[in-house]
Amino acid sequence: MDISEAAERISLKITSHGHPADKASIESKLTRLVNEFGVPPAEAERTVLNELAREFSITTFQAAGGPGDQKTLGQVQNGEWVTVECKVVALTSAPSPSIAQAGILADNSGAMRFVVWARANAPALTAGKWYRFESAVVDQYKGMLSLKVHSGTTVTEIPHEGALKPAITPIRDLSPGVVCIRGKVVQEWEATHDRILQSGMIADETGGIRFVMWKEEGRERLNPGGVYTIFYATADEFNSRLSLTLNPATIVPEEGDIPVSTGNASFQGAFVHLAPGSGLIRRCPVEGCNRVLSRQNYCPVHEIQPQYHYDLRIKGWLDNGIETREILVQRGETERLVEMNLDQARELAENNPLGMDEVFMKFREALLGRYLACQGRVIENRMLVSACEILHYQPEQLADLLNRAGGSL
Amino acid sequence: MTGGGAAGRKEGIFEREPARRVFAVELKESRIHFKEGQDEKSPTYVLLPTGERCNRVFIAGTLTEKRRQGEQNMFYRARVVDPTGTFFVMAGSYQPEAMQQVARLEPPTFVAVVGKPNVYQAPDGAALISIRCESITQIDKDIRDQWVLDTAKATLDRIDTAGQTPDGERAKREYNIDPALFRKVAYEALTQLKI
Repeated sequence: MDISEAAERISLKITSHGHPADKASIESKLTRLVNEFGVPPAEAERTVLNELAREFSITTFQAAGGPGDQKTLGQVQNGEWVTVECKVVALTSAPSPSIAQAGILADNSGAMRFVVWARANAPALTAGKWYRFESAVVDQYKGMLSLKVHSGTTVTEIPHEGALKPAITPIRDLSPGVVCIRGKVVQEWEATHDRILQSGMIADETGGIRFVMWKEEGRERLNPGGVYTIFYATADEFNSRLSLTLNPATIVPEEGDIPVSTGNASFQGAFVHLAPGSGLIRRCPVEGCNRVLSRQNYCPVHEIQPQYHYDLRIKGWLDNGIETREILVQRGETERLVEMNLDQARELAENNPLGMDEVFMKFREALLGRYLACQGRVIENRMLVSACEILHYQPEQLADLLNRAGGSL
Repeated sequence: MTGGGAAGRKEGIFEREPARRVFAVELKESRIHFKEGQDEKSPTYVLLPTGERCNRVFIAGTLTEKRRQGEQNMFYRARVVDPTGTFFVMAGSYQPEAMQQVARLEPPTFVAVVGKPNVYQAPDGAALISIRCESITQIDKDIRDQWVLDTAKATLDRIDTAGQTPDGERAKREYNIDPALFRKVAYEALTQLKI
């Protein structure tokens, strides 16, 4: 934010109440806060404005310099003072006592989060109703825009005809913010946290995105394979990848099926490393957990679990000489590749002084140095393998290579 | 709505160094080794004469000999032979798993080795190159033959692209070897396979 612009806004607000405003002094106060004390510019602007307001006993601001341009949610940008007319499509619990209400607003052009500050003295908003917000402020957090309703904002309920038509965004084109998508639940993952009701991947024909639904009253798990239209979910970026939070979205199950981008990739190479955690493993028996237990049967969430269940898997690296790919192979394909099933692996571990390590070593002997062709979904350079073949010598390649090598002898 | 989107996502993912496919004759000629970056943990590379840096190799061949050496710091020295020559493979106490794997192998047998090449200066000034073994496993001839195809292809690819890469230029400056030699090596290795 430009300091002189901020000073201009403040002086306009003060003069609109019939008080004199010294722009130079406002600007120097702002500069001092920002440059000397490292106060964020928006906070500095608020501080200076409040200070002057107290000085002149101004209680409310009727947004100086007009209420901000009237815009649609799709048009607003970070840092703007705006007037918007939109519908409250969801209310969420306020995360802090300084927040009166929080939730999601939408109009036909888009949707975004909003926050009503406790000090705004705004009327309580009702989900499903339309409101006009005069002089609200748009800011941005983690790439996501949000509308702030403060004490200078005028909120009025307005009548609205016709239904809101939310635009569905193809999954490939998603960016942080409040979004509507239509997709199919293609994967369900082990919950990594107690508070997670469900997590997995949802895909449409353009791509897939991970989703998470937190435990909350009235929330139900999505059916794997089911198609849903999801209105007003929050797409946010964590560790530089997008993830979709389904609270407090509106989720509508759809009939039928849709084509999805399988996101399927294939990779061929030599198996060059078998990572720890491969072979025979023990999983946490707590429903929805399924985490791998340590040697002492310790689950990072549910502590000691003597009633574990066994599983087989391969974690390792394929390498084609140019690139490497981490692969994760589940039990079905693992049993085929190493020609050992779960019962045999258990028996081997139980009858051997090395226990589960013996299975790991057998896996290593069976896999290392083998050329494999794997297919599966790639997530951050790791492939969740759905199909895997051991490759064999192909004499027809020999003829081609002999020609290539001998061509210029 | 603004924001990065798919195109702006950062690369923060661990990249494993690929294992290069190289014939024994070419690896034996490699003597330029260098480190990328100043860090203690920065990877070290051997520059292959066909013009590619190499932090790790994947080789397949016949284990012809293994010898246990040292008392306090026991280690294994092994020879693995491919159609073009011999690789020297070492497995020491810093690679306990590889050492145990070597201990169980009885030469002669086909093996696949993943390891890191190291260049040493012999007392007479010659450069010696050996492979510090990360893993060594018994394989069958089918895999050995796949490796010969794979390595011939990788060698030809390197010869074909060496003119366009900085590492290729550097190899040309540092090694006075005609790449046609390695083309011939690949050809001869291939002729030993069955059609």
